[in-house]
Amino acid sequence: MHEMSIAIPLVEQLQALAAEHNAARVEALTVAAGVMRQVVPEALVVAFEVAAAETCAAGASLTVESVPLAARCRQCGRQFEPSIDSFVCDRCNQADVEIIDGNDIVLTSVTFQQADDEDQPG
Amino acid sequence: MKINLVKNVLEANEAAAEQNRRRLDDACVLAVNITSAPGSGKTSLLEATVPALADELPAAVIVGDLQTTRDAERLAAIGAATTQINTEGGCHLSAAQVAKALDTLDLTSLRLLFIENVGNMVCPAAFDLGEHVRVAMLSVPEGDDKVAKYPTLFQPADVILIHKIDLVDALDCDLARIHADIAKLNTRAPVFETSTKTAAGLDQWYNWLRTKCP
Repeated sequence: MHEMSIAIPLVEQLQALAAEHNAARVEALTVAAGVMRQVVPEALVVAFEVAAAETCAAGASLTVESVPLAARCRQCGRQFEPSIDSFVCDRCNQADVEIIDGNDIVLTSVTFQQADDEDQPG
Repeated sequence: MKINLVKNVLEANEAAAEQNRRRLDDACVLAVNITSAPGSGKTSLLEATVPALADELPAAVIVGDLQTTRDAERLAAIGAATTQINTEGGCHLSAAQVAKALDTLDLTSLRLLFIENVGNMVCPAAFDLGEHVRVAMLSVPEGDDKVAKYPTLFQPADVILIHKIDLVDALDCDLARIHADIAKLNTRAPVFETSTKTAAGLDQWYNWLRTKCP
């Protein structure tokens, strides 16, 4: 249910990026969602459609990629890939980790349609 | 034209959270974000905690709910400085909402700030509010299977409360199962079995807060 709280700042970032790149509209984008953030891809797509309405990102195609967990054990320093239901380090048998991947929601690519196709840089 | 980039979508919330944290640091106030399902006993825990620590650690409460000021009224009745945030459908608090609530409080008179998040075991876990420590609560009536079902609430917690522990026998709750599930997610956080009805575990909770206060 927190997908709208992700979609709103995402659309704001797309508007700023479109202005920066002199683009008329956003055609497509990719978001990498860490599994710790519990994003439901279908829910984010729907929330994005609503948040993007009447902006330069309206109708843009959103691809959501899932980023698996990576962690470092705070006890022994071992790096490993925990599952969402067990963060136990095999070496020291503790579940005391720093999460080093799978904890963020990142905009990783944007495809723009230029405001003036003639002006497109070579 | 396609560009590749690495842009944190929640950077505005995270920047606001950092600002909140700095503001609280400057005032030497410990901010405690309390997360749980609705009805776990967050408000009754605070009704016990705020008066118990009032002399040594004066506290205020920011309380988030979709609607009503019922929790704020309960907390104001025990004399706690309280600011209610109504999210009007929002399933979690944001750092910007907490920033506005901070404006309503006299931080210089405080040592502790409790942020009672919206009752929800999924969404609040994803949003930093600028707290220093995060509490994850599970109450016995919710069932002994819930820790494993909601790992993202318990994994990052700094302390875990198994609340309404007085009901453990009446409800045939498998306490060992709860502890075993917590041990798979988070062995860093101390786990206290608490009850506001019998006062079980409350001294451990208060002592933990004392050790965390700047």
